[in-house]
Amino acid sequence: MTDTKTQIAETVKANDVVLFMKGTKEMPQCGFSSRVAGVLNYMGVDFADVNVLADEAIRGGIKEFSDWPTIPQLYVKGEFVGGCDIITEMTLSGELDQLFEDNDVTYDKDAADKIREANG
Amino acid sequence: MRVTDEIQSRLETAFSPTRLEVVDDSESHRGHGGYQEGGESHFNVLIRSSAFQGQSRIQRHRAVHTALGPELVAKIHALSLDIGE
Repeated sequence: MTDTKTQIAETVKANDVVLFMKGTKEMPQCGFSSRVAGVLNYMGVDFADVNVLADEAIRGGIKEFSDWPTIPQLYVKGEFVGGCDIITEMTLSGELDQLFEDNDVTYDKDAADKIREANG
Repeated sequence: MRVTDEIQSRLETAFSPTRLEVVDDSESHRGHGGYQEGGESHFNVLIRSSAFQGQSRIQRHRAVHTALGPELVAKIHALSLDIGE
């Protein structure tokens, strides 16, 4: 296993929720990363953000690690959940709430409901 | 072959979809990251096929990525997928 893969594996193990994204959660640099970070922020989820633009090795490495060609990528408890389309769909269907509940991740249910009301 | 047509043809071959819409959405990203003159950088794909029956969301997306192939995927800056049965 390369150093990059080890580093990624350790990151997703050390943090319950990790978002590999372009930019940071405070300042996303891409609309798709922004959308997912925005949902997590709004739902009050405590997550680690990894800015792939700041590290070329991670940027390429995460695609290989997840066998997924695009950024952003969300991990919960070490498991790959999906990218922007999947997270959006899961937010609106309530599956993301369920995933957080199943994994004891704290989130604001009212905020999640508000997202669904606004996009219903 | 234009990227739009290539996406269309590969997905038709792989999944025999009942519905397939490939939209070049590049213009709405003008001035943003990844935009290139002439478009063909940002795509929205809607696909419906019985081939996705019983597959998880991740499996469906992976199947589409595989059908497009790594070279085509690498050419596209952003690909938004709406996949269903």
